[in-house]
Amino acid sequence: MIKVKDIHKSYTKETETIKGVSFEISKGKIFGLLGPNGAGKTTLMQIIATLMKPTSGTIEIAGLDPAKDLLEIHRLIGFLTTEIKLDPVSTPDRLFDFFANLYDIPKGEIKARKEKAFDRFGITPFAGRRISELSTGMKQKISIAISLLHEPPIIIFDEPTNGLDILTSRQVTDYLKELRQEGRCIVLSTHIFSVAEELCDEVAILVDGMIVAQGSVEELIKMSGEKDFEDAFFKIYVENHKEER
Amino acid sequence: MSKKNRQSWIRGVKTIAAGFFKKHGQMGAQAPVSTFLISVGFVAVLAFTVLSWFWWWFPYHLFSDEVYDIVVVNAPESFIDYNQYMQKFRDKRAAEYGSRTSWFANWGHMAYFKYHYDGYGWTRFIYKENPALYDFVTFGKWMRENKAYLTVVFPEGFDEAVSARTKDHNLPKPDILTYYRTNSLEYTSMKQEFIDEYLHGYQDYMRNKNGWAFANVVDSRIIDDAMDFSDFENRNPVLDNLGRSFIPLLIFIVILYAAMSIGTNIIAGQKELGTFTGILLTPIPRSAIIAGNQLGVTLKTLIPAFIFTVPFLIIPYYRNQANFAAIFLHLIVLTLFIASLTLLISVINDTVVSAQTAFLPVFLILIAVCVTCIQNSTEREAFYLYLPVYGQFYGIGDALNGITDHMGLLVSSVSTLLLGFIVTLISERLLHNERYTISIDPVTAKEIRQARSGKHTALNVADKITDNGFFIFKEMLYPLYLLGFFQLIAIIPVVISYMRRAEYSGFIADLKGVATVTEVMNKTFEVLGIFMGNPLFLALMTVAYFLMIAACIIHSKRVFRKKSFADTFKACGLPFGKPSKIVKDYILGLLAGFAMMSSVCIILKLTGQIDMNGFGLSANALPVFFINLMMWFPQGASEELIFRGYMIPRFEQRFKKAFCVFFSSVMFSVFHSLNAGYTPLASVNLFLIAVLFALIFLKTGNIWMTCAMHTAWNLSQGNIFGLQVSGNEAHAAVINTSYSADANNLITGGTFGPEGGLAVTAVTTVCMVIVIILLCKSRDLSRNKNA
Repeated sequence: MIKVKDIHKSYTKETETIKGVSFEISKGKIFGLLGPNGAGKTTLMQIIATLMKPTSGTIEIAGLDPAKDLLEIHRLIGFLTTEIKLDPVSTPDRLFDFFANLYDIPKGEIKARKEKAFDRFGITPFAGRRISELSTGMKQKISIAISLLHEPPIIIFDEPTNGLDILTSRQVTDYLKELRQEGRCIVLSTHIFSVAEELCDEVAILVDGMIVAQGSVEELIKMSGEKDFEDAFFKIYVENHKEER
Repeated sequence: MSKKNRQSWIRGVKTIAAGFFKKHGQMGAQAPVSTFLISVGFVAVLAFTVLSWFWWWFPYHLFSDEVYDIVVVNAPESFIDYNQYMQKFRDKRAAEYGSRTSWFANWGHMAYFKYHYDGYGWTRFIYKENPALYDFVTFGKWMRENKAYLTVVFPEGFDEAVSARTKDHNLPKPDILTYYRTNSLEYTSMKQEFIDEYLHGYQDYMRNKNGWAFANVVDSRIIDDAMDFSDFENRNPVLDNLGRSFIPLLIFIVILYAAMSIGTNIIAGQKELGTFTGILLTPIPRSAIIAGNQLGVTLKTLIPAFIFTVPFLIIPYYRNQANFAAIFLHLIVLTLFIASLTLLISVINDTVVSAQTAFLPVFLILIAVCVTCIQNSTEREAFYLYLPVYGQFYGIGDALNGITDHMGLLVSSVSTLLLGFIVTLISERLLHNERYTISIDPVTAKEIRQARSGKHTALNVADKITDNGFFIFKEMLYPLYLLGFFQLIAIIPVVISYMRRAEYSGFIADLKGVATVTEVMNKTFEVLGIFMGNPLFLALMTVAYFLMIAACIIHSKRVFRKKSFADTFKACGLPFGKPSKIVKDYILGLLAGFAMMSSVCIILKLTGQIDMNGFGLSANALPVFFINLMMWFPQGASEELIFRGYMIPRFEQRFKKAFCVFFSSVMFSVFHSLNAGYTPLASVNLFLIAVLFALIFLKTGNIWMTCAMHTAWNLSQGNIFGLQVSGNEAHAAVINTSYSADANNLITGGTFGPEGGLAVTAVTTVCMVIVIILLCKSRDLSRNKNA
């Protein structure tokens, strides 16, 4: 579904944030990008979500080129960011309608989709309340419901459980598993090992803008020769990270 | 565009535009409630102001300082006679009007109150005598004391001059001068009516009484010439003017304010909150996002615009159905244009506050356009009707007054829409640039943008150039401000004292003829020449120079970030370290300055350029001599402090030492080049002297010595050798010097003094060579050799 080939991205002339990344993700799989803060995870996620253009390299999403079929790709992807970003004076109800209209969902179908999504996350009792009055967990759930209202086959999720309590993050991880079952293609970035270990079919370890290791969690542990994933990650990280002068 | 894409485009525009009108609309961060309250207050004040134009809801004049009386200076017999003759008409009118102060007894008059030049018969004439025709200080005092709004000044012997003119028409017309209060526009128009009716009536009366011919020819020149009022048939000039000025201005302000509060919130607000990413990821083209927002802002802004316009259209005076369409078209076009501007600003900025700040200049520029429109509303050029914004302003004003220029309406609408469309296109293109779309944390975004621009990009260089340019500009203005401000303050009392002397009336009257810049300069120098012999002026200038030094030190303390004044003095080259060293340096400087000027005079004497005619000081010139002597000390010190002690370290904060010396010397030269008798050689010489002083400052590390040199130079030049000091003539000199008959201006410098001649060039150059040799020798300063 997603083909990334030799992506480079630099904000300044001197430094390159992404230094040649390539990978492929197929349907019904969860692909995890694991790396420390500042490794370039968010930049890479934004490039995949077509919010940024790479300096060089190509991306193909469901066989489409973002340079040509940007709007078509937007119908196919759902993007969720680290920070919860919803208009605080609006209500979940109105926001859902607003975005459903922008996604060109037929009028008759909007209500059915909204009921389904709001019931799934328990938003219905709060549908008429102001966003600013709601809890962080509720906001993240509303954000997920709205971001995925067009039922995209590809989901890009930047730090899905960041800042959430155990209960809510459990709900989110369960939902991701459900989505995988439905045959969606999911890319997520995280710096939390347990999330990667639990969810991801394939993990790429990103250090200083480069993928230094890629494979399933078991493969990576085997490769490094360590006991568990956390130790494996540290070993791989230390081997590949160059100290800045 | 395929059908499906077109549908989603339309749906996107509709959804985004509709978002503006939902409860809790505007998908962006919002301005605080206080903004809303302020705008409510703003609207309320405007409403009351507008109301007071139509209905006198408040008897302002009972609480105002409104006055009706007139002071007549040097009144001729004939004018007193005329006043007595007119008194019975005034009495009659006052009786008809009724009570002047009781609102309840006389509300009918109060409600339609109008100012009148003789106050409905209440005016009294106060007669005064003063031979000085331009003594506005005394006239102002008389006007205050006698509650008068106008002073009419006749020259002495007015009647005789007019009589003489009946025999010989080639004689000049005698002048009648008017002075009036300017604190209210009412007084200006009352004065005008007084001239038009009363003074002209007086001249007719005088002719009839004396049986002179040409009954409609004015026999004296009234200095305040009457202006032509364009006479519309059946039009009310007040309402006409209102329709051309206040009402369009009000509509403009409403549109600008509404567009600002609505438009700057949207995209910038969404970026600030982070909700914009969500909208970007929907399958809606960027053009639809822009179009939707443009439509939303326009429609929402039009609501208050219409609410404010419609009441004016209901007023019977402005009611003219044919022009309603024109007004509405102008409103829509203008709103579209302003909405596109707010949208562009919203796209460029990351937060609501920064967008509103960025909109402020646009707001002010457009208001300034309105003000220029109002100022030129009667005598505008026709092409203004075709320009964007101007066209709308004049168009609305004209339409309210029943005129519509169809060509102007068409051209200005098309040009405005075109301009707005270009702005919208720019906004749309910018939305394709990730710099304006990705909502990264604003701080990070700024850092990235800074880093992205690198060190050597054109933008960066331009930034630095404008920054330095602004710094230089500001520092250039500082001496101008210091010298100008304090010298002006010192000059005001002197000018006033001269105004009150009858013998200078002729000189002041001559100023009317001054037109060209050269004439202005010459007159200024003439005045300064008179003042230089005035002890009051010299004493005040002495005080002014001390104040300049104080002001410069206070400014330096802030600029150089010094904790104490002792440190500030030190930073400005005036260290208080060892008193003995200061005294030594100062005396050395005095001697050096005197020696330099003496050698200049010796050169001039030896080459036969000047004649020294013995002792030139008389006993009654002694006070001026001593005060002048005293003035040179703070004078030299203040100029040294400003141009050396302050300016060189100030510029050193940014630039190399060589540039600091060069620039401060250029400034020194430029400031002196404004003086009388300036020659190109003078500016070269002054530059050389400035460099010499700067080098001495660098050599000694303080300006004590140069202060003394500067003082000794000027003092000996003006008050010992009796020559001009940079174009200013000192009035009391020890030696009576004059240029010899065959003097060469190139050597002597002519009226600028020796500083404009080659003799000074020679002496300065020799001194400079000596100082440079000393500088190079001293090991301490060898590392500053670029200076």
